[in-house]
Amino acid sequence: MIQNPKPQKFIVPIGPQHPALKEPGHFEFTVDGEIVTSVAIRLGYVHRGIEKAAEERNYVQDLYLLERVCGICSHIHATAYALGVEKLAGITVPPRAQAIRELVAELERVHSHLLWLGVAAHEAGFDTLFMYSWRDRETVMDILERLSGNRVNYSANVLGGVKFNVDAAQADAIRRGMDFLEERTHHYYNIVTAEETFLRRTRGVGTMSADQAEALGTLGPTARASGVQRDLRIDSPYAAYTEFPVQIVTASAGDLEARFVVHVNELFESYRVIRVILDNFPPGEIEVRMPRRIPEGETISRVEAPRGELFYFIKSNGTDQPERIKIRTPSLSNWASVSATAPGHKLADMPMILVGIDPCFSCSDRSVSILPHDRQSKLWTWEDLRQYGIEYYR
Amino acid sequence: MNELFPLLSFLVFPGGIFVLASGLVYEWTDRKLVARMQNRIGPRWFQPLADVVKLLAKEEVVPAGVNRSMFLAFPVVALAAALTAALYVPMAGFSPSFSFRGDLIVTVYLLSLLTLCIGLAGANTADRFSIIGATRTLTQLFSYEAPFLLALLGPAIVAGTWQISEIAGYAHNHWLILTQPIGFVVAIIGLMGKLELPPFDAPEAETEIVSGALTEYSGRGLALFRIGKDAELVIGLTLVAAFYLGGLSNPLEFLLKTGGLLLVVAGLQSLFARLRIDQVVGLWWRVGALLALLQLLVLVVLQGMGI
Repeated sequence: MIQNPKPQKFIVPIGPQHPALKEPGHFEFTVDGEIVTSVAIRLGYVHRGIEKAAEERNYVQDLYLLERVCGICSHIHATAYALGVEKLAGITVPPRAQAIRELVAELERVHSHLLWLGVAAHEAGFDTLFMYSWRDRETVMDILERLSGNRVNYSANVLGGVKFNVDAAQADAIRRGMDFLEERTHHYYNIVTAEETFLRRTRGVGTMSADQAEALGTLGPTARASGVQRDLRIDSPYAAYTEFPVQIVTASAGDLEARFVVHVNELFESYRVIRVILDNFPPGEIEVRMPRRIPEGETISRVEAPRGELFYFIKSNGTDQPERIKIRTPSLSNWASVSATAPGHKLADMPMILVGIDPCFSCSDRSVSILPHDRQSKLWTWEDLRQYGIEYYR
Repeated sequence: MNELFPLLSFLVFPGGIFVLASGLVYEWTDRKLVARMQNRIGPRWFQPLADVVKLLAKEEVVPAGVNRSMFLAFPVVALAAALTAALYVPMAGFSPSFSFRGDLIVTVYLLSLLTLCIGLAGANTADRFSIIGATRTLTQLFSYEAPFLLALLGPAIVAGTWQISEIAGYAHNHWLILTQPIGFVVAIIGLMGKLELPPFDAPEAETEIVSGALTEYSGRGLALFRIGKDAELVIGLTLVAAFYLGGLSNPLEFLLKTGGLLLVVAGLQSLFARLRIDQVVGLWWRVGALLALLQLLVLVVLQGMGI
């Protein structure tokens, strides 16, 4: 007697260690042949307890800690934090410092978008585009190094201003770099909109309508590719974005091709605004004095990171250490769109859909502890958290 | 002396050491060319050899849940098939060591045996990436194999024989790439599908299924599969060059023609994004097979009219 076996689920695990992922995360794709029927996402492999650590340090130390939340968009985290603390302290930062903040933020966006272009092309098996875009990305990395001395964590911000000035020779180097990158980016635009084998992997894949994008709470280029008109640089200008405004870049299709188009067009917009800033640099100081103790109060600070809206909540208790800092990174908001759009696609499309939201795994790692309802919740100190981490990986 | 000749031809030239050595050289050339086209430095000249030596020295892990003897036998069979195929093709421009009527079919079969072994080796293991990779490998085998064979039959029909040495002799006076351009294109792309080179590398797409059917292989087994693939690269290039590029009559011609083909193959590898497996099947059956059939039909009709 042969019993009819129950149809078993065939689950393809991707991660925590997998060639497609540059950071650890775990994804379970339930497949039916090559078609994916459901996705489960599990994060939390690189949780570092930064929010808790920030409560144990003073405001100046936190600036350097928070810059290390994300390895790609380091400057924008420090900017969000600095803007928030300056608001609490009631300090007005000189316009030149704000312009330099915007300049570095846009350079960072260029470097982040070029990086994404390469990674996404690699996931599609298009290594040539990967190699070329990463080679060109070196241009903007070199510029950032020339400005700040660092390629990744530029530490441009201090509380109350910025750390370095931009002189004429540096401005010329930036202009030359932008000219080179603009020419290269035209080439990439042609590839992502006209290369036939590449379009077969991007057109109609991971499509998300504007309503869906709103409902899932997506942010940044992922939302703008679905036609959502949302960009904090325009909606709620910070730093110098009122003096040097940017144009919003959107697309309507909502598929991966649209996301490529949005990213590449945002590159052009960044090149333009970088040139405008360099031509109209406000003169003057780049720093004002900050008090060590920040007056009691709480504030929110929102900025547009390369991946979307970055949200900081800062609560001060009148000492030199913050009472609470809450960070919501854009990657965290975008994850839901992966599990919503993936079912129905082929397994081969999964790496591209995953990378399509430009995820930053370390940014989105949160520690969640689920207690039985009869147990009292308990407040963890930094020491408890540290001990838990050591025990967990023992 | 008569007993020595087959042994020598199997172990030293044109089979055996010669195919292995040239396979490594061609692999390096291919990797270097692709690297330069992608603006990278590329590997050093001895890198393929170093990889193989390193793999041979490593422990071969037999995973749980496999049929042990099959797991160990597949790489050997695959390499043996590729080496045997070398005996029937005009390696280095010399006439094949062995030749009989219909050896074209045997050679094509021996070349497919490698892919078949990779597919079965993947299906033999319990690993999920391997099983998906094996499914894709075998799916791809069924899609490119028929058009590839049809593309090789074109020269066979005009030469009026299915013996490789005679076809090569006929091709020596006729550059068939000019009279059968479609066949040439199908053959070269079929060869890329056979070797799972980009854009036909869906069976071993690292960003999806790690390394496909061979995920569980390490050490000796992996080394043998890799050498087998390198041997197949040389043999495939030789076959296509001998059939379509005016034959191979001396080592210099062999180097130039297969080298030129390798340049084309490397260029195609760096031009495209990876095709999904359903796109590969669609491409071959909707376009490749039809074009090859059309070419064949034209040839048969022309032959029938006595031209």
